[in-house]
Amino acid sequence: MLIIQWDDIVTTFAWGIAVYMVIVIFFYSVILVISMFQLRKEYKLDRVLAYEDYLDEIYTKPISIIVPAYNEEAGIVHSVRSLLSVNYPTYEIIVVNDGSTDHTLKKMIDHYDMKEIKRVVRKQVNSKPISKIYQSAIFAHLFLVDKVNGGKADALNVGLNFSQYPYFCSLDGDSVLEQDALLKVMKPIIDSNGDVIASGGSVRIANGCQIQNGQIQNIGLSDKPLVVMQIIEYLRAFLMGRIGLSRHNLLLIISGAFGVFSKSWVIEAGGYRTDTVGEDMELVVRMHRLLKEKGQRKKIVYVQDPVCWTEVPEDITTLRRQRRRWHRGLFESLWIHRKITLNPKYGSIGLLAFPYFWIVEFFGPMIELSGYIFMILGLFLGGIYIEFAILLFFLSCLYGSIFSMAAVLLEEWSLTKYPKVSDIIKLFLYSLTETIWYRPLTVFWRCEGVWQMLRGDKSWGEMKRKGVLE
Amino acid sequence: MLSNELLILSILTLAMIGILGIILVYLMIRKAMDIKISKRIDHCKEKYNPLISLILTEGGLSRELTAKTALQRKAIEELLSRYTKVLEREEEKKRLSKLAALYLTDDYQKRLKSMRWSTRMNTLYQIEDFGMDHLLNDVYMLLKRRRLSHQELIHILRILALFHFGPLFELLTNHYNHLSEYEYRNILLRLEQRQFDQFVLNFHKSELPLQKAIVDVISIKKELSYLSFLENIFSNYSGEVKLRALKALAVIGYVKNIEPYLELLYSSKWEERMISAKLIGKLKEEKGVPRLIELLHDQSWWVRFQAGQSICQFLNGKEILRLVLESSKDSFAKDMAWEWLHKGE
Repeated sequence: MLIIQWDDIVTTFAWGIAVYMVIVIFFYSVILVISMFQLRKEYKLDRVLAYEDYLDEIYTKPISIIVPAYNEEAGIVHSVRSLLSVNYPTYEIIVVNDGSTDHTLKKMIDHYDMKEIKRVVRKQVNSKPISKIYQSAIFAHLFLVDKVNGGKADALNVGLNFSQYPYFCSLDGDSVLEQDALLKVMKPIIDSNGDVIASGGSVRIANGCQIQNGQIQNIGLSDKPLVVMQIIEYLRAFLMGRIGLSRHNLLLIISGAFGVFSKSWVIEAGGYRTDTVGEDMELVVRMHRLLKEKGQRKKIVYVQDPVCWTEVPEDITTLRRQRRRWHRGLFESLWIHRKITLNPKYGSIGLLAFPYFWIVEFFGPMIELSGYIFMILGLFLGGIYIEFAILLFFLSCLYGSIFSMAAVLLEEWSLTKYPKVSDIIKLFLYSLTETIWYRPLTVFWRCEGVWQMLRGDKSWGEMKRKGVLE
Repeated sequence: MLSNELLILSILTLAMIGILGIILVYLMIRKAMDIKISKRIDHCKEKYNPLISLILTEGGLSRELTAKTALQRKAIEELLSRYTKVLEREEEKKRLSKLAALYLTDDYQKRLKSMRWSTRMNTLYQIEDFGMDHLLNDVYMLLKRRRLSHQELIHILRILALFHFGPLFELLTNHYNHLSEYEYRNILLRLEQRQFDQFVLNFHKSELPLQKAIVDVISIKKELSYLSFLENIFSNYSGEVKLRALKALAVIGYVKNIEPYLELLYSSKWEERMISAKLIGKLKEEKGVPRLIELLHDQSWWVRFQAGQSICQFLNGKEILRLVLESSKDSFAKDMAWEWLHKGE
């Protein structure tokens, strides 16, 4: 009697997981198809030609680039150098030193001959006070703002107050921009005549590439399994996920590493929030919300060209911290704006994007974890469950790799960045192994993030920079 | 029982393995082909580069420069594309257009009819870059295509403007009169003066975006000959168009009679106060100085900012600002005077 009941529970559970998998696979497939159509339409479009027009000052709008820096003495000089060679008619670079305790400030002052200047700063969003303002004697468009420590979001807010141009772009101190990055992301804004109020580009992984003087010299595939897995992850997230979401104005994330925003809208939304670890996502969600509440038909879009190369963690400890932090940031953004969930007033954002992020992105890892537990359990239960568990395992291996390979395919159709046949084989083999080790690891870390949050643990580690920028 | 499900799952597994295999083989073959083709094109380019370089600088033609295969034409196209970015002299540009016409005309005529959007777009860009104005008619015919994307439309109109297509004025005012200001500007900028004058004459009957674009183009080109036209618009229009005309006047930096602009310094709209302050600064009109000093106390940050900048443009600007800094009681005015006094030090 008891055994039959146990059987029932297990079967129901198995079905539950199967149904969840079908829902997720359905979501992903729809997004994949949308992305495929979009990329196929732009197949072999010569993008350089399309951007050249915008090099003319008459057409473009000036941008302020804000670089928040906290203890970045290792990379800041290089980052700024790469920014100085960006291809764009009018821009200013604002490095915001967020009360660093190392030599970030001194390095900037020495290297770029920064001189103190006086400037009245309009306080349009709340932020910690500014102590000093510098301007470079060599490059008139390079500024350095020294302020009291207040976190990344606060540094961005200061940059926002200080900036003089109508658009701004936020940039991580450890990222390398492509030469045409600003042109690429500004294109939709200019083309739409202001209907696009924010735009982000795809972020690629710099580990394994050769970088000199702040520019990518050679694109290569790293030898470290952890990095290759992250490359596959990024390809999938950017080429599949974001193109599909952006097509229908459902984009809730513009990567903190690089994105351009219309300043007036960000100020109207109130700037960056300083009490969340996911300030980039939270801002985009808040802007969407503002748009819907004001009944405006403005858009937030994503450009599939790679615009920015960033360094990802190469060791388990840092990656684990990063994933826990990400998951918590995701939850905070969703929770702060929980009102939007399934609220018809917010249109497709409330009815599609929010449920997607709750079910697939937030609860996904927890359901997956229970799935892994089930598989292990199945092995012990014996009988038909062994076969069922093994099959389920194979299936999840395979469907994961199909989406990964589809992302590689999309990459080949659109940009063709990795130069060798062996690169493709390598990506293929690694993607087959994802379910065995990498996926369970990230799933586990993300669940850990939830657990930490429930316990009220507020600590989160900074990423250790190895400095690929040298 | 579960055995049925097991069967289905097994079939699914096999199907997925199949799909994966196909994707992998496709990707590998593609990559290998791509590498091979681009190597051959590079080889071809190496051979052709000195020939093309010689033709562009000295004229004439070369018998060795053959374009029988698609690969050879691709190499020529890529080389020419590279040269469009570096050529400065008019005759060299003409020679490039001639070369492009000789080798690429057939291809481009075909490609303009392609089913693929990106192919047509690329071709339009190349036609414009190479200045292949003998394809004017083919480009115009593309307008008649069913299901034309908006981006294509704008690009076609741009090319028509660049190649002095006669009926363009009709097209823009009758058929395509709902473009955005930015798109109009993009097209109008490419017109020669005679054609542009048609739009100026028709200004009063135009839609708002077109009007704004016309004024902007004059401002970008800094055309002195349209000065009275701008002043005319300034005094006869209101709102956004008036403001644009004022902006254009501030850029050109010349007006016949200063009085109306001095009055505008007292306007109730902050935008008008700001731009007239800009104009007064550019003209260095002494009569405006007392009001500019008052505007340093304006309630709008932008007006204060502009007033500070304009005062700076006068020879004794710094002294005026210093005086404000010492004597004014308004902290906003003081801040602004202080900022302009310390700018760029």
